[in-house]
Amino acid sequence: MTFINPLALLGLVAAAIPALLHLLQRRVPPELEFPAVRYLSAAERESARRLKLRHLLLLILRTALIIVIVLAAARPLVRMGGAGGGAHEPTAVVVILDNSPSSGVVVDGRLVLDRLRVIARTTISRTTSADRVWLMLCDGVLRRGTREALLASVDSATTGWQRLDLVQAVDRAARLVDAQPLPGREVHVLSDLQRSALAEGRAVVPAGVRVLSLAALDRAVANRGIAEVRVTEGAAVIELKGAGAGSASGDAAQPVPVTIRVGAGRRDRGEISARGLATPGSAVTIEIPVQNLSPGWWVGEALLEPDELRADDRRPFAWRVAPAARVTATAGAGGFVAAALAVLREGSRVRDGSDVTFTGGEALAGELSIVQPPADPALVGQANRALGARGVSWQWGGGATSTPGPISAPTLNGIAGVQVIRRYRLERTSPGSGGSGGGSSDQSADDVLATVNDEPWLVRAGSTVLLGSRMDTAWTVLPATPAFVPFIDALANRIVRGEADVTTAEGAPRVEFRRRGTDTTGATVFGPDPRESDLTPAPKSLVETALGGEDRVEVLGDAEFASERFSGTRRTDGSGFLLVLALLLAASELGVATRTR
Amino acid sequence: MAQRLDLLDPAEVARLGGIEIVAEGVVEGFLSGVHRSPFRGFSVEFTEHRAYQPGDELRYLDWRILARSDRLFVKQFEEETNLRAMILVDASRSMAWRGSPERLTKRAYADRLAAALALILLRQRDATGLVTFDEQVRQVIPPRVKAGQWTRVVRGLIATPDGSGTAAHAALQRLTALLARRGMVILLSDLLFDRDLALAALRYLRHRGHQVIVFHLMDPAEVELGGPPEVRFRDPESSVTVVVRPRELARAYADTVRREIAAWRKACRRHGIAYHHVQTDLPFGMALRLLT
Repeated sequence: MTFINPLALLGLVAAAIPALLHLLQRRVPPELEFPAVRYLSAAERESARRLKLRHLLLLILRTALIIVIVLAAARPLVRMGGAGGGAHEPTAVVVILDNSPSSGVVVDGRLVLDRLRVIARTTISRTTSADRVWLMLCDGVLRRGTREALLASVDSATTGWQRLDLVQAVDRAARLVDAQPLPGREVHVLSDLQRSALAEGRAVVPAGVRVLSLAALDRAVANRGIAEVRVTEGAAVIELKGAGAGSASGDAAQPVPVTIRVGAGRRDRGEISARGLATPGSAVTIEIPVQNLSPGWWVGEALLEPDELRADDRRPFAWRVAPAARVTATAGAGGFVAAALAVLREGSRVRDGSDVTFTGGEALAGELSIVQPPADPALVGQANRALGARGVSWQWGGGATSTPGPISAPTLNGIAGVQVIRRYRLERTSPGSGGSGGGSSDQSADDVLATVNDEPWLVRAGSTVLLGSRMDTAWTVLPATPAFVPFIDALANRIVRGEADVTTAEGAPRVEFRRRGTDTTGATVFGPDPRESDLTPAPKSLVETALGGEDRVEVLGDAEFASERFSGTRRTDGSGFLLVLALLLAASELGVATRTR
Repeated sequence: MAQRLDLLDPAEVARLGGIEIVAEGVVEGFLSGVHRSPFRGFSVEFTEHRAYQPGDELRYLDWRILARSDRLFVKQFEEETNLRAMILVDASRSMAWRGSPERLTKRAYADRLAAALALILLRQRDATGLVTFDEQVRQVIPPRVKAGQWTRVVRGLIATPDGSGTAAHAALQRLTALLARRGMVILLSDLLFDRDLALAALRYLRHRGHQVIVFHLMDPAEVELGGPPEVRFRDPESSVTVVVRPRELARAYADTVRREIAAWRKACRRHGIAYHHVQTDLPFGMALRLLT
């Protein structure tokens, strides 16, 4: 049993008053002379049992009366049978308000998020100071605060740009409430319940934790969204996603116009736009008149006509317009590099020239160098001295190691996991040990681009890129993989120049550039997760399975949700009943005290 | 307007003077209302029949009624001059108690009632004596009818101090030896002693042919229990104590007292003893009237 005013329970000490009075009153009675003591003794003998019973009854009644009054003052919460109003036992509850981009869909003229927000608000409003409440939005952060603060958070919640994995969210929330020493533990899932929000896996919900999920809307909503924009030389490849009422055969499967705009809002460069038709579920390539674009970084966007979900109708992209690198390779660079360059040259990805030189450790030449260790170990020392003379702060360690291992390259996805058989350890020399030739002494310019067994394997030091292994199948299987030619392309056109790839991230659609000094070295394109565009609701069985199992999860409509929340711990104030009981006890006490004399 | 002292509150009457004055005043008032003696003896003037009791002399049996109805009745006669009355006053410690300062002690009440009785008896020329007792017989004034007897009786009452315990049966047994000639025995006592033993002595007197009258004196506070919420009551004779809550025990106590009175009344009736329960707030005249 719990109490609204538990401090009042201190009054239970007063329950000892009747017993104390009973003991104190027996201490020193006055003594009087009375001749008829024999009659008294006889009367007392006859009434002893009745009087003993009366005393005991009065003691019990008076003690019970005090206890009941104190309990009534403490306002106990008593468990209720059915649904309905009333208070509830202290409950740890996490309200998951899924304000991911998909919650911005308009259904029947109303934002889905508005529906979710109203229910979240009602739930939080019904909590008491004895509850522990958390609010989780699409950012996955568990917010703990007062009821008023959480209500303010709900009121101010707008459609976010991050996808919420409901399985992980429920898993975390269930673990959190399970750790709370409160009688009630509930997780309220207020989401549009996209099928895509229930990732593979299943939330682990401990016993005693109730997961109440608001049921998805009855009807699916058709939607088309831009899932991805990839920019190649002179063209944009746009992938469209579509789902909803029409499914693949309905409206969602019809071709829709897509507009590409590049350089919008940049008066110094002008704007280029192009149009095409794209079918949901497929990719479309739209040619961009690249001859009109000057070299440099360009920001563009792909646009769809507005539909019920606006968040995925626009997706930006960043485009690096640059001439193909002029490349040469020495004999020491090896046959695989030469072959790759030939392919790239044929595809106009590189041109003949001496701006970038692939070498095999011999004398460095050219402005930009991509250096492999020498095939002859005896020449490693000479190659290291050449690197030092160029001002490169890295060198090959003594003796090639034969410890195989996979390549780990977070920014070079193509080569990640490729096996390396032989390599030299790349070791950093003391800063400034080399000359100041064509290299840079700026240590911040050094990048470890790939590792093998947690040891540097591919590093960039100023204008020089060092490889730990020769591009030969005797050293690594990389030359035999499809990733080899793109790798050489990236080395020649981007890595050796210190430019990073364009990365993507979740967030409000925008492009952020990474800079080193005055140079722009890369860009991050923000946009919603493509899975948010799929508004197909998850079936009830999937929701129950994914969010903890049928025995733990209840998928409920709006009305059911309102009646079932806190129902496992619903209680009512029992003080009224106790006051009635106190009156009955007082009447009984009066009756016993007066009628049993 | 003159008031009859026999009908006033005993405590108020007692404030008028000593035992003699009070007794005379009471008797004057009482006799002016009654006009004849309440005492009946065995003289030649027949008055009424009553049921035969063991111990009654067979010569007073009414043989005619026996022949007609097969039931035993004795004839009672109005005595004129030859009644021998002995008044027994309990002077034990318990008699010296009163429940309120506004009332007489039981002993004071008994003294004044005994004096009044003696005066009535002596005025109709009946030989009257006095015995006071507690655990033993304290004063014995043999029955006489000569002048100055009443004064001796009164002095005997005054000269008897409050005693300690009560062993009435011993005193009553000794009385049987003193009362060789048949007569009347009037016992004034709170009867706070062993009922069976006392009844045995009274029965013996009755068996010897005495007419026995018992005045059971009680203070009103002994009938209705009161006092502080909790109190330790001590018996002045035995020093036995008992702790009670008077309000709790009042009803049971009243029941016990009622039963005790009823038991005395029933036992006395069974043995042909006249029993009268008198509370010390009862006017003396009313107490005397119980005898008529």
